[in-house]
Parts: sequence; structure tokens; C-alpha cells
Amino acid sequence: MDLAVQTFGITKTFGDFTAVDHLDLEIRHEVFGLLGPNGAGKTTLQRMLVTVLTPTEGTATVAGADILREANQVRERIGVVTQASTLDLELTALENMNLYGKYYSVPRKKRQEKISELLEVVGLADRAKIPVAGYSGGMKRRLEIIRALVHEPEVLFLDEPTTGLDPQARAAVLDYVKKIHEEHGITLVITTHYLDEAENLCDRLAIIDRGKIVALGTPTELKRKISGGDIVEADFSALPDTALKALEGADFVLEVKRRDGGLTILVKNGAEAVPKIVEIVDSKGGKLRTITLRELTLDDVFLSFTGRSLRE
Amino acid sequence: MMGALAVCERDIRKFIKQPAVMAASIMGPLLTLILLGSAYGGAITHVPVAVVRESYGPFTSKFVDILRNEQSCAFGGINCQNSFQLYDVAVIDTAQEMLREGRVKGIVHIPLGFDRSLSDKVNVIVTVSLDNTDPLSAASIGAEVAQAAQQLSSQIQISTANGSIITADLENYYRNVLYNEFMAPGTFVQSIMFVSIIAGGVQLVVDKERGIIEGYLVTPLKKYEIIVGVLLSGVIKALFTSIATFVLAIVIVGIRPNLDILGITLTIFTLSLTSLGLIAMMTAYAVRSSSADVYRVSSFPINLTLYYTSGAVYPLEGFPTWMKDVSMINPETYSVHALRLLMYKGAGFQAVAGDFAFLAVFSALMLALAIVVFKRGL
Repeated sequence: MDLAVQTFGITKTFGDFTAVDHLDLEIRHEVFGLLGPNGAGKTTLQRMLVTVLTPTEGTATVAGADILREANQVRERIGVVTQASTLDLELTALENMNLYGKYYSVPRKKRQEKISELLEVVGLADRAKIPVAGYSGGMKRRLEIIRALVHEPEVLFLDEPTTGLDPQARAAVLDYVKKIHEEHGITLVITTHYLDEAENLCDRLAIIDRGKIVALGTPTELKRKISGGDIVEADFSALPDTALKALEGADFVLEVKRRDGGLTILVKNGAEAVPKIVEIVDSKGGKLRTITLRELTLDDVFLSFTGRSLRE
Repeated sequence: MMGALAVCERDIRKFIKQPAVMAASIMGPLLTLILLGSAYGGAITHVPVAVVRESYGPFTSKFVDILRNEQSCAFGGINCQNSFQLYDVAVIDTAQEMLREGRVKGIVHIPLGFDRSLSDKVNVIVTVSLDNTDPLSAASIGAEVAQAAQQLSSQIQISTANGSIITADLENYYRNVLYNEFMAPGTFVQSIMFVSIIAGGVQLVVDKERGIIEGYLVTPLKKYEIIVGVLLSGVIKALFTSIATFVLAIVIVGIRPNLDILGITLTIFTLSLTSLGLIAMMTAYAVRSSSADVYRVSSFPINLTLYYTSGAVYPLEGFPTWMKDVSMINPETYSVHALRLLMYKGAGFQAVAGDFAFLAVFSALMLALAIVVFKRGL
């Protein structure tokens, strides 16, 4: 099966610091997320894959071409949306896109067709002729994403595509990104530190920490990997030691963690556990203030793999 | 090559959409031309001078009349006006006080016995005290009084003897060229420098900081295409701006270049060559600059040095040696020289070939430097 991206022990060091450490990764024709905190190495990895940085060691193929020996083929077959905007604000959406088409030597007629089609897809067709400076943050992002598609790339790299956007604009951008993948069959490689984004958007994820992949799989698989359980958050007005001991000893409880004002309890099955917890606390003379059941999030996954929270 | 044209097209489109950049590049040099041209170009007239007469006779009256009617003219002998505003002062002490207080800039002291000495044809000395804290006015007063004295003595000789008088017969080889016309070529070169700084270099540093240059590198654009595109757009912007400045200098300031078709062609060629050299130089400098701020601040002294050592506002012959040395390696010197020859003397290719040769070598060196620095800096 041919892969969109395959890395072979790819490594990048800056002096003593190893940003990416002998990393092997296979990305299929899917929506793939690179998840990790700032400084984890995900942006360095991406910059090597888009041929801007040369690896210190190892190599990779992107869209079937080697990033070292066939950098130019790679460049022709990929689209890149960087974290910081590179739009020319004085120019219109049409001008911005047209110039990009020219950088990729897309013939005039094809360029015009593709540009109007893409502007239509992300709902910018009616504002294509005003300077981009007048766009909202979300509109600029959408434009930036479709600008990277004028030459019909096989793989689209998106670096933190929704950073700095309000929730509504984020949702819209993500919808369009999904649509682009579904309708055009383009492989998407997205770096992000937004967990919900990764969870909702990506077919598979790699959690990167200190230049290495610490976990890889679908969001569901990753969550199942740590325990396959649910989380119960319980706050108490009174919690006698006996009650705590009883909870820790209960067979349906996997792990109890103390936190301010209450406990975080990892259980096998949340729906069954909640009434049992209430019962135990009651029988030992404790007083519950609130009890909530939530599913595991990627943050819990991340925490368990790296010992750090993503939000730190 | 399509890529290079696209890179160039982007820069030009941005330039057109930011009229302030071009306006600043034109208005700065044009204002210099208007203000400096008006401030320095004029003759010094109506200088307040005190006259202290201690002698009362026909020669004294005659001498004061000559002084009163002494005329100073702008470059080229036009707009002539009275050189002095004379104040008759009775005693020397009062006059000296006026000088100290700045009410007059000089004292002409006609001594006792002036008339008697002259009728006896004996040498007599008129003392001129000068406020030399204003050296230009002082020099002008000195020259005018000396001239008046010469005029008076020649009149005396004519009326009394047959001695031959040698006068120099001055002939202007070219039509009158005003001071602001003299400095106009430097203005056009400066507009090129302004564009090189603002629209060439700064644009590039900002693009680098914004990641646009890195954005180029993930596309199939070759490095040489990016360099060619950036330099080409810079030359087009600078050339366009300098020609616009040229036209405005004719329309607004009243510069009168004497150009035929060949002259216009050679002038545009000079401006193009200058644009290429300065754009390449500032591009190389911009790529090496650590930030846009450092670049902006440091490019002003570069501009000042090149402008004032080019002979744009004062003849090179008047420079101290170290400044002459700087002007020798300053490309603007050669542009200004060539433009003056073309604009006012109707010179042909032969006359400016040396300037072209220097500018061509300079441009080639800067181009090579820009390419090396650009390739490494990307």
C-alpha cells in the first residue's frame, strides 16, 4: 500500500538539542494529527517533511518522493499552510491565489477554474475582489488553506490551523478542512495542540514528546490504551478516611487520585460505578457535594503517556 | 522564469496598493530639492551693514552710493537685488555695539582723510569689520566692498589718467543653470535610494520575518527565481519612482533639462543602472540585517553619507580630502555626474561612458554580493 508520508529514522538536532529523534512514521491517505505540546518537535518534523529543513540524519518520502533527493517533486505535490499568516493583506483573495498558482506554474485557464471552485467551497466567492485586510480571522485562514490547494496537492500540511480563532470560526475552518479531505481525497497532516480538534478531525494521531512518538493510533484506540475506562469526578463536603479506603479497595475502581476538594476516580464502567460510589460514601458517613461522569479525553491520554498535561 | 515573474508581480502589486511608499520616496527627495534648493541657491541680499563716515566729501558720497547700489544675483546672474541694507551710523562705538547685538553683519569704516587721500591719489584703507560667525554673509560683504572699492578707484583713474584697466570678460558656456537645477540629479538618485531602502530592503526583511520567504521555499520556486524576482521588482519600482520624481521636478520645481531623444535614453539608462546597483546593495544589506528595526535605523546614515558625498549639493572640488576619497567609491557620485552632463550639457554617450563603466562594475559586484548573501540567508 502506498503511503502519503513515510519517515526513516528522521532526526534533527540543533546543537545539543535533539528536536526530532530517530522517528519512524507512516501516514496513509487519511487525516493525520501530530499532537504535542510546544517544543515537542512536531513543527520541526513538519518543516523537514516540507523540505524547508534538512534532516541531520535519516530521510522521508512525501507523496512518493524523497525529501532529500527529490525535494522539487515533493514541493510540487504538497501544499503547506503555516502557523503565522503569509497572506498579502493589501491584495485581494483572487490576487493572493493567482500568485500562488503562478508559483506552481499552474496554467492560466486551469488556475482560474480551480480558484473560483475553491473560493466557492469555503464561501469566499462573493468577497474575492476585496483586499484581504478587510477579512475576519476565520476568513483569512480559510483563504490561506485554499491558497495551498490551487495546484491540487496530494498532501496538505497544516500547522496549527485554528490557532487564534474564536470557537465559531474554528468550527467553520474545521468543517471546511473535513470537506476538503472528503471531497478532494487530499491527505491532511495537521499539527495541533487542541485535543478536541484532533479528536474530532483526525483518523489517526501520533502523540509526540521530546522528538519521539509516544503513542500512535485512532483517537479511540489511544484512549482505550490507557485503561479502557471512564473518569468520575467527585467533590465532598465530608470524606472520612474509611470512605476513601473503601473506595480505593472497591473492585470496580482502577485508580483514585486526590485533588483539591475531591477525588478523580478512574473506573471500568462509569454508568455502573456512579451509584456504587454514592452508596459507599453514604454508608461510611461521607457527604457528596457533586459527582460527575466524563469520558476519557486525549489530555488524560497525553498525561498518562508523557506525565505532563498538554495545557501546561 | 515564470516563477521569477510571479515573485516580481507580487512585489509590484503590493507597491501599487501602497501608494504611501511611492509618495514618500518621491516627496522626500523633492522636498529636499525645493527646500535646500531655495535655501542655498539664492544670493545673499539686503545684508544689514553699518557705514561710519568720518570723512565728508564727494569721494565718500560716491563710495557709499556704489555700495548702496551694489547688486547680488542668484546663480546665473538672475534675480539681482541690492546687496546691502545700509545704516548710517555717526560713531564707530555705536556701530560696534550694533554688530555685537546682531543688528548689522558688518561695519564699513570710512576714515578721516578719505577724500583728501583720494584727491591726492594716495592709498587709503577702508576698514571692514565682519560678523564672521556667519561666514557666508561675511564673505559676501567682503567681496562686495572690495568690488565697490575697485569700482571707485577705477572711476578715479579713468577720470584722471590714461592708465590701462584690465577687465576679465566672462562668458557663460551654457545657459544659466540655477542652484536647484545643479542639485536636481542628486534628487533623482536619492529617490532611487529611498525606494531601495523602503520598498526594496524593508519589504524583504518584513517578508523574511513574516515567513513569506520560507513560504516561497515550500513551493517549486527555485532560489534563483526568488532572487531574480525580488531584484527585478526592486529595479522596476526604483526606476519608476525616479522617473516620476524627474517629471515632478520639471513640472513643480521648474527644472529645465536640455534633453533630446538620445539624452532621454541615456538618462533612463543611467537611472536604471543606478537602480540596479543600489537595489542590489540594499537587498544584500537587508538580508544580512538581524531585524527590520536595525535595518531601518542603520540605512539612514548610509543614505546621508552617499547623498552628501556624491557632489549632489556642492561641487566635489570643495570637499576635504577624506570626503573626496569617499566620493570616489560612492556610486551616487557617478550617477550625479552622468546626469548633470546629460541634462545640462547635452553630452553624448562618450562623455558618460566612464560613469557607466563604474556603475556597471558596481552593480555587478552588488548583484554578486546579493546573490551570495541571499542564497546563504534563505
